[in-house]
Amino acid sequence: MSGDSSEPTLVAEDIRAGYGAGDIIHGVSVQVAPGTVASVVGPNGSGKSTLLKALCGVVTPSSGRVRLGERDLTGLPPEEVARAGVGYVPQVDDVFAPLTVRENLEMGGYLLAGREVAGRVERVTGVFPRLGTMLTRRAGRLSGGERKMLAMGRVLMLEPAVFLLDEPTANLAPQVAGELLTGHVRALAEAGAAVLIVEQRARAVLAISDYTYVLGGGQVLMADTPGRLNASPEFTESFFGVGPKVPQTPPERS
Amino acid sequence: MTTAQLYYLLNLLIYAGVDIIACLGLSQQFGVAGVTNFGFIIFQAAGAYTAAILSLPGDSANGGFQSYIGGWNLPFPVPWIGAAIVGGLIALPFTFLVGRRLRGDFAAVGLLVTAVMFNLLVTNYRPFLNGSAGLSLVPAPLQGEYDPQGAGYQWAYAAIALVLAAGAFWLVQRVTESPYGRSLRAMRDNDIVADSLGKNLVALRTSVLVLGGALAGLSGAILVSYITTWSPGAWGYAETIVLFAAVIIGGGGSHRGAVLGAILVPVGFEEATRYIPTFGPPGFVDDLQWVAIGLLVVIFLWFRPQGILPERRRIIGATAPSFKIPNEDVVTLAGPVRAPRAAEAPNPGRPATAPASRANTADPVVLRAVDLVRDFGGVHAVAGVSIEVRRGTLTGLIGPNGAGKSTLLAMLAGTLPVTSGHVVYQGTDVTGRPAYRRARLGLVRTFQLASEFKRLTVMENLLSAVPDNRGDSLAGALRGRRYWRRDEEAAIARARALLERFGLSGYADTYGGDLSGGQRRLTEIMRALMTEPAMLLLDEPMAGVHPRLARQIGAQLLDLCAEGMTILMVEHELAIMDEFCDPVIMMAEGTVLATGTMTDLRARADVVEAYLVG
Amino acid sequence: MSLFLASFGFGLVTAAVLAIAAVGFTMQFAVTDVLNLAYGAVMIASAFVAYALNQAGVNVWVALLAAAAAGAVGSVLLNQGIYTPFQRRGTAPITLVIVSLGMTLIIEFGLQAIVGGTSVSYTMSQGPTVRAGGLVLTAVQFVIIGLAVVVMAAVHGLLRYTKLGKAMRATSANRSLARNCGIRTNRIVTVTWAITGALCGIAGTVFAINNGSFGATSADLFLVVILAAVFLGGPGSAYGAMLGAVIIGLATEISAAYITPSYKDVIAFLVLLIMMAVRPGGLLGAAVQ
Repeated sequence: MSGDSSEPTLVAEDIRAGYGAGDIIHGVSVQVAPGTVASVVGPNGSGKSTLLKALCGVVTPSSGRVRLGERDLTGLPPEEVARAGVGYVPQVDDVFAPLTVRENLEMGGYLLAGREVAGRVERVTGVFPRLGTMLTRRAGRLSGGERKMLAMGRVLMLEPAVFLLDEPTANLAPQVAGELLTGHVRALAEAGAAVLIVEQRARAVLAISDYTYVLGGGQVLMADTPGRLNASPEFTESFFGVGPKVPQTPPERS
Repeated sequence: MTTAQLYYLLNLLIYAGVDIIACLGLSQQFGVAGVTNFGFIIFQAAGAYTAAILSLPGDSANGGFQSYIGGWNLPFPVPWIGAAIVGGLIALPFTFLVGRRLRGDFAAVGLLVTAVMFNLLVTNYRPFLNGSAGLSLVPAPLQGEYDPQGAGYQWAYAAIALVLAAGAFWLVQRVTESPYGRSLRAMRDNDIVADSLGKNLVALRTSVLVLGGALAGLSGAILVSYITTWSPGAWGYAETIVLFAAVIIGGGGSHRGAVLGAILVPVGFEEATRYIPTFGPPGFVDDLQWVAIGLLVVIFLWFRPQGILPERRRIIGATAPSFKIPNEDVVTLAGPVRAPRAAEAPNPGRPATAPASRANTADPVVLRAVDLVRDFGGVHAVAGVSIEVRRGTLTGLIGPNGAGKSTLLAMLAGTLPVTSGHVVYQGTDVTGRPAYRRARLGLVRTFQLASEFKRLTVMENLLSAVPDNRGDSLAGALRGRRYWRRDEEAAIARARALLERFGLSGYADTYGGDLSGGQRRLTEIMRALMTEPAMLLLDEPMAGVHPRLARQIGAQLLDLCAEGMTILMVEHELAIMDEFCDPVIMMAEGTVLATGTMTDLRARADVVEAYLVG
Repeated sequence: MSLFLASFGFGLVTAAVLAIAAVGFTMQFAVTDVLNLAYGAVMIASAFVAYALNQAGVNVWVALLAAAAAGAVGSVLLNQGIYTPFQRRGTAPITLVIVSLGMTLIIEFGLQAIVGGTSVSYTMSQGPTVRAGGLVLTAVQFVIIGLAVVVMAAVHGLLRYTKLGKAMRATSANRSLARNCGIRTNRIVTVTWAITGALCGIAGTVFAINNGSFGATSADLFLVVILAAVFLGGPGSAYGAMLGAVIIGLATEISAAYITPSYKDVIAFLVLLIMMAVRPGGLLGAAVQ
């Protein structure tokens, strides 16, 4: 998990996936390098969630490849993808409601050796101090913001190479959302992980991203650095309907 | 044929009659309506006990060795009629178990427990029905005038049993091949959607329990009057499993399947084992028989869950009517000989719906939201929205995710109660009214998720949406086709016109479950139009639809508006909004941000920004 | 008050047998969402395994261990071989219940075909009568109560304090998320069925001991009492099953002493129906299912 390598860590090539009846994403390619934040934005129904699910194994792609470095993850079940070092935070049902906060974290650390767990829990509560004050509370009793912190803390336990975050700020108040993005999400990348984040709040997530994909109608409409996207009129257009498809370039570190 | 063989054959025929009637009752509940009544045996037992105590003399007779209630020595056929009535009435207390709140498998377990409980109560409370010993010396019908052991009597008994079985078949066919039967099947396929179409689930399930219960009671009466004894041992839950096995193997949902199952399982199977030479210790062959029934149930549910004679597709066709055993996939509902281009079908140029007749032409505003607010645990999903929808417009409702569009739509439709504010439809405040009441006033919504009935054809899906069909109740169905034919034919004509308008005439007889995504959307819209609404609330009708089909749908919607319909449509496909919708209302964070054409909205920086802020 | 204490004592014994059984049943439901109505059949089949050993001279309490093993193996086979394939196909829960009834027929009557229809009993001594704290019970009855307490403590310890137990609870709560944590949920499910199958085997043997004599279909009625305890406490909740078992066990025996013994199980059934009508989530579950 080196912070300075420009080798792409997680690569998805030409993914087609759906939930049975038909494909929702039709040939999407994204990649995210360690130490960077790549975001996926786009109007609703564009397939952003489906893309993440295809990457972490919850949905099996009908075609395309997913690899982490040299390792081929295509078609692996979620537990094997997790074991390969990919952490996934779903948008809903993101915690074990009947378990306590501590037990949720312990489940996050399921793959750790027993003696390491306590230390990791301390590290995670260092990142999310609020969690440290409510270790014995049942997760179902937490507020929205606290649940999201727990959901991210759960994934943090394994310190995975890749974080897949599905709209972590959904249902959060704007300032809490802002803190989550600028504080915690950015921090994950600073620590060396590759972070792929799907978001509805395009402006806010562009502000913390190194590279952004715009998804529409199940395809990548645009892909570029936030700076260039913000300056481009096609960017706002793409939120209002199908726009021109731009070939992707690999992420560049500035 | 020797006398012994003759008696044996008659014996078989009588059991066949009894089991056919019982299986038909169960098929009506389980196969047609989807009510898994594991307590079915109680109804048969209730009928048997009723017939027994009505026909027995007072319990001091015969030396007083039995103790039971009743004992009025009533003549045939009163005990049998009483049995059917009691079998039906016993169903009423079960209403609480079949309401909507309980999962299907939980309710089934509850019914099973009830069966066991009643068996225990009857076994232990001797004064009621003579406890575990049961009732015996039950008089055979007319045993004063005829000799029950005589061949003539046995023939007559078998004939009566079979005639009643045929009558039961006729009855359940009549009930199932009616609008009421269609509603039962819709409820079986998707009870939540059936509920939203205004079907009263509790009433439907209760009525089916009553009908099946009455049939079960009658079967009990025929049985007890023949074997002249009845005890709790005869009705454990093992007996219910045999009947379920019969219906599953024969074919659930198809009454012919139930008849076949009755002949194969309780009769055929149990009789076949008679011919296997007894081997092994006593009871061994009986045990193997039970094992075989268990195996058959599991095997059939795995390999052929629809049974040997599965439910047939109902094709609303143009051949001769009603009770004749169909030899093809054609069962008629539309009545006698008519070509599909019926005289009543409107000319293609005329509109299929007549919304103008329902409209209050004085007021150009059809729907008004006044300061609507909806809270979810402290979060304002909708924070004070006031909009007006004018007649004849295709109004769009857009906004980023979480803006509150679906919540607003749900409050307008009545599927979600408001926290505060008013919904005014055609001048009437409808704020407190549930969705199906608003639907009757002409304000109808569609749903985002797949909501077609999978095992009903497209035509049946459309017909199921009509609220005021006279045949849509048990009483109406019992009165027969003549009673509801006119309503049904009017609905069929309307459905055909809609199918033609939307280009799906060729799919009228396709099962809802076999449609493509776009076809499902169209069916959803057509179904909403069946009620002849004045205003439609569409929830993402183009979601997942191919762009070309989406444009066709859009064009159809515009045509409807040109004919006087008013439509409010939530949609994410902004290209559609561009082409078809005027005005477009844009929401963000629970309030209305702007209203205008898409071009107007695109030009506004705050609208664009709202989408990007998310 | 000795009538009360006597019936209280019997209530504890019933509650003990019921608790072991109900906890197993409810945990099977929690982790696979299947109402395994063949549970009673596996119980009694395991009791017969113990009987076979007992007839060969093995002490019944040792044979109990064999019953536990038989129950574990049988239950795992039942889930892997029957329920899981049906579930993979998307079969509706109600159809799975019918399948489980079919399996009940196969197991119980297959068993009866082998062992015959006459009732049997274990060769064992009931032990001396023990008076403790006002209760008067046989030593065997005290052992049963003690065994239930040990089993409950073990289950509690497993669920609360071990990694496996927490993984079981996590899998029951949110299977997909458990997989995202790297938990191999298929294995957890298999292990859960093995453990609950062992509970089923123990419960069957203890039930047979407590009943005195038993036959292949003896557990039919008892299954319904188990259902009552499970639904009272809340289907899927192990602690709910324990609570439900205690309440039903005590309620049925005490009412039997004061009203009439023949209807004691009716109390259990009425409790079940009332809970279903009023609060399907049970005492420890959510208010609305």
